[in-house]
Formats: sequence, C-alpha cells, structure tokens
Amino acid sequence: MNQFKFRKVRNKLFLFSLSIAAVVCLAPLIMVTSFMLQKGAASLDLDFFTKLPVPVGEAGGGMLHAILGTIYMVTLGSLMAVPLGLIGGIYLSEYGKGGISKALRLATDVMTGIPSIIIGIFAYILLVVPFKSFSALSGAVALAIIILPVVIRSSEEILKLVPKHIREAGLALGLPRWKVILFIIVRGNLSALFTGVMLAIARASGETAPLLFTAFGNMYLSYSPMEPMASLPVQIYTYAISPFEDWQRQSWAGAFVLIILVIGVNLGARFLMNPKALKNFLKRSSS
Amino acid sequence: MTSKKNVLEVKNLQAWFGKFHAVKGVSTDYPEKSITAIIGPSGCGKSTYLRCLNRIHEEVPGARSSGQALLLGQDIFAPEVDPVELRQNIGMVFQKPNPFPALSIFENVVVGLKLQGIKNKAKLLETAERCLRKAALWEEVKDKLHQQGTSLSGGQQQRLCIARALAVNPPVLLMDEPTSALDPIASAKIEELMQDLKEDFTVIVVTHNMQQAARVADYTSFLMLGELVEHGPSEIIFTNPKQSKTEDYITGRFG
Ligand SMILES: Nc1ncnc2c1ncn2[C@@H]1O[C@H](COP(=O)(O)OP(=O)(O)OP(=O)(O)O)[C@@H](O)[C@H]1O
Ligand SMILES: [Mg+2]
Repeated sequence: MNQFKFRKVRNKLFLFSLSIAAVVCLAPLIMVTSFMLQKGAASLDLDFFTKLPVPVGEAGGGMLHAILGTIYMVTLGSLMAVPLGLIGGIYLSEYGKGGISKALRLATDVMTGIPSIIIGIFAYILLVVPFKSFSALSGAVALAIIILPVVIRSSEEILKLVPKHIREAGLALGLPRWKVILFIIVRGNLSALFTGVMLAIARASGETAPLLFTAFGNMYLSYSPMEPMASLPVQIYTYAISPFEDWQRQSWAGAFVLIILVIGVNLGARFLMNPKALKNFLKRSSS
Repeated sequence: MTSKKNVLEVKNLQAWFGKFHAVKGVSTDYPEKSITAIIGPSGCGKSTYLRCLNRIHEEVPGARSSGQALLLGQDIFAPEVDPVELRQNIGMVFQKPNPFPALSIFENVVVGLKLQGIKNKAKLLETAERCLRKAALWEEVKDKLHQQGTSLSGGQQQRLCIARALAVNPPVLLMDEPTSALDPIASAKIEELMQDLKEDFTVIVVTHNMQQAARVADYTSFLMLGELVEHGPSEIIFTNPKQSKTEDYITGRFG
C-alpha cells in the first residue's frame, strides 16, 4: 500500500515537471505573439493595407506595396520550388536507393542548413550582378531555394510513411508503378503533402535576409519581375531601424500582419485539406 | 476432372529472402475452373509461394525466385513478360487487409478499372455493386459508399479488398487467408463466392481452416518448411493422405 502511494506521488511529480517544461517551451511563443498583438494591433489602421508610403518625415501612409510584393515573390518562388520539390520528394521515397538519391538527400540536408543570408548572396551573384539591377525575380529565386529542400524532405518523409503493403496492393491490381505512385500513394496523402508545402511557404514568407540583396525593396507599387520590389520583412526591417516614430509604428504593424499571415498559412494548411480537423477545432474552441 | 486443361503449371518454384530459402522447389498443376487450397504450419512459406505467382515477391528488397510458372503455356518469369499485364490476369487478396488510404469505399473497389481507363460512371457503379455483393459487403456499405475505405472494420476491409480484386476480373485469383478475420457468416459467404468464381476462374487459396479447405477446395497442397509435402484431390488429402506428416498435421498432432 505504501509503495503504491509512493508510486502515485512519483508519478505526479514526473507529470508536474513535464508540464513545467512544456510551459517553458511555449513561453517564448506566447510572449512574442502577445507582444506583437499589443504593439502591432495598436499601430494598425486601414491605411496600412491600402496606402503606399508617404515622403520621409510625413506621418501616415501604409505598406500596400510590401504586402503585395511579399505575396508576389512568395507565389513566384513557390511556383518554381513546389513542383520541383514534390517531384524530388516522390523520387526519393519511391526510387531512392541509388547514388543519385544519396547525393540528392545529402544536398537537401546541406541546403536546409545553409544560412538564408548566404542563399541571398547566391541569388545576388546569379541574377542581380548579371542584370545589374535588384529584381523581384532574384528575390523569388532566393525564396525558391529556401522552399525547395524543405518540400523535398517533407514530401519524402510523408510518402515513406505509407506502408509497403499499400504499394503492393496497387501493383497487384495490375497497375503500372507510376500510376500506383501518383493515383494511390500521392493521391492518398495529398493533405499531408499539402501541409508540408504550406509550412515551407510560410517559413519562406517571413525571410528577410535572402531579400536584402535581391529584391532589395522600394517605396512604390511595382509588378515587374525585373525591378526591385518591396516585401513585408524588408520593409519592417527598414522602418524599424529608421529614426522616424511613425515608421517605427508602421514597422510594428507590419510585424503584426506578417505574424498573422504566417500563422494563417499554417492553420489554413492544416484545415483546408482536412475539414474534419477544422470542425473539431471549432467545436473545441466554442465549448 | 482429370480431363481439364491446366491454367497454371508451376515447376520447381524456389524463393529466397536474401540468403533465407523460403520456398524450396514446389511443382503443382492448377486445372481451369478449380479451387486449390494451400495448407501448412505458420511460416512454412505459403504466402511467399502465392506472392511469387503474381510476381509481387520480387518487389521485396533482397528477395528473388527461380523456377517456372506457365500461365496458359507462357512462363510468367520470362523476360518478355510484363508483370503489370500479368497481374491483371492473376489477381490477389492479401493476408492483411490493405484498402487504399483516403479513397472512398466506392473508389477502392473501382480504382483498378478506373486507372485502366474505364470512365463510364454507370459501368463503374454497376461493377462496384456487383463486386461488393459478391464479397458479402454490399448490405453493410451501400449507404456509405463515399466514406473512406479505411473507416471500415478489419473484416469489412478484408471483404472490400476481395471486392477490389474481383473488379479487375482476373482469370486466376490468389487468396491469402481471405477469411481469417471474418465471422462465420461472412466466411460462409466468401466460400460461396469461391464456388461461384470456380464457374469461370481458377482460385488458389491459403487457409488455416481445414474444414474450409475440405469444403471448398477440389485440390489441396500441404506445405511444410518451404517444401511441398503432398498435393492431391482434397478428399484424398483429408481422408487418406499418403504422407504421415500430412496426416499428423491435419489431425492436429502438430503445427
Ligand atoms: N520480408 C521478409 N523478409 C525476410 N523473411 C521473410 C519475409 N517475409 C517472410 N519471411 C520468412 O519467410 C518464411 C515464410 O513466410 P510466409 O509469410 O510465406 O509464411 P506463411 O506460410 O504465409 O505463414 P502464415 O501462415 O503465418 O501466414 C518465414 O519463415 C518468414 O520468416
Ligand atoms: Mg501467410
């Protein structure tokens, strides 16, 4: 009986220390978001979404150009990286035994570890130097290089989780391997693949360093891929280190919008392909 | 019975997993429109043998096989044979239920036809109903054809996989313990299905259920440690086997 009590106490203690650890892990996230919510929400106004910057020193204006620029470059970068990344991931999981796959796997691992500023420099040398101009295109390429390895590895891991007997069942129906892969394995895991892609895109949309020497930034609306283009992270950075109070205020607002954007993409990815999860989530938060 | 043509003639079939010799030279003839049962202790190589016959065995890393299996006179292991085409003619129900994830019950049944290019909705629906009825699942799922196949119970999933294999309409059907997860009523329906199939097709079924083998199979093979101990008409294997090992096994003295 005594021993039983002791075991119960020990159990409680263990659970307690784990809960403390979990709270410690969550604390930075909660602090950052609540801080941003306070500071950012207070600085936010409608102009922020609808207006362009005003001349230095004047109050007012907004970041419409940077919001559109981020969407523009992230979309362009995703268009380049996502199809390629999915193909790479499928290749690695389905045919990934030979030397090419080993090399590809190593390359993606290394690429995930490269600091994003280096990727920015790479895109600078590749596209900015030859064209003698900062450009949205070079920014999109830098973002694509960040997205690519994440998509490759996440889709590989997802598809590798599909048990062998599912592939065998497909083959046993007399289907060629590529049909089994595309229409049974990939099709059966679309939602997980989609989530992986969206997480990669969300990560890239918050990157500042790769855009500093590539898209660079500007103060007006631009839709040309060959010209400099503003983005939220760079605009936040520029405004935050400026001496003007109103710019600093807008920087907070920008940070707030960026966080909401990233969290939104994250949650959206989870729910869009999995309506059941959304229903559960709503039920939980309403009760 | 002896006048029947052989659909499948297996000659000295061997199979390995790496260095492990799992099937050690099995030779058997399978007459058309017949049911053959394969019995034997767990781990003796029944599944491996069956999986050689639709060339799924070679999909396992490190696995290989040798020997011949003549399907209507053509060796299925010959280099010019396309395993994809072969598997359209030799269907399989696996030992473990393996419905496709994220596909509905309906899609699970017709996916083979659909991916072979059949798009006619009415024909697909008709096939799905026919095959689900034959697999004794229709009544349970007819109101929820668009739910995921993986949402069914284990035994229902197994019947779904049977329906899926039937939909492709293969002249030879391999069934690896199709009823081991089923209740007696569903089992009886599957046995009925096998009798039905026999009208046109050739069935090879692995089972641990001696009564089942004796009931449905025209012929029975007894496998032990990868070797074919005895093969013959079921009534002889179950009443008057030549080998003492067979007799020991079917009377439950070991295994
Ligand atoms: N993937 C594998 N790799 C290595 N060895 C294997 C593999 N699959 C099966 N084996 C071995 O091959 C032998 C035959 O296995 P098999 O699955 O054919 O047996 P079985 O007769 O179907 O048994 P059961 O009645 O339990 O299903 C066993 O000894 C098993 O350990
Ligand atoms: Mg088996």
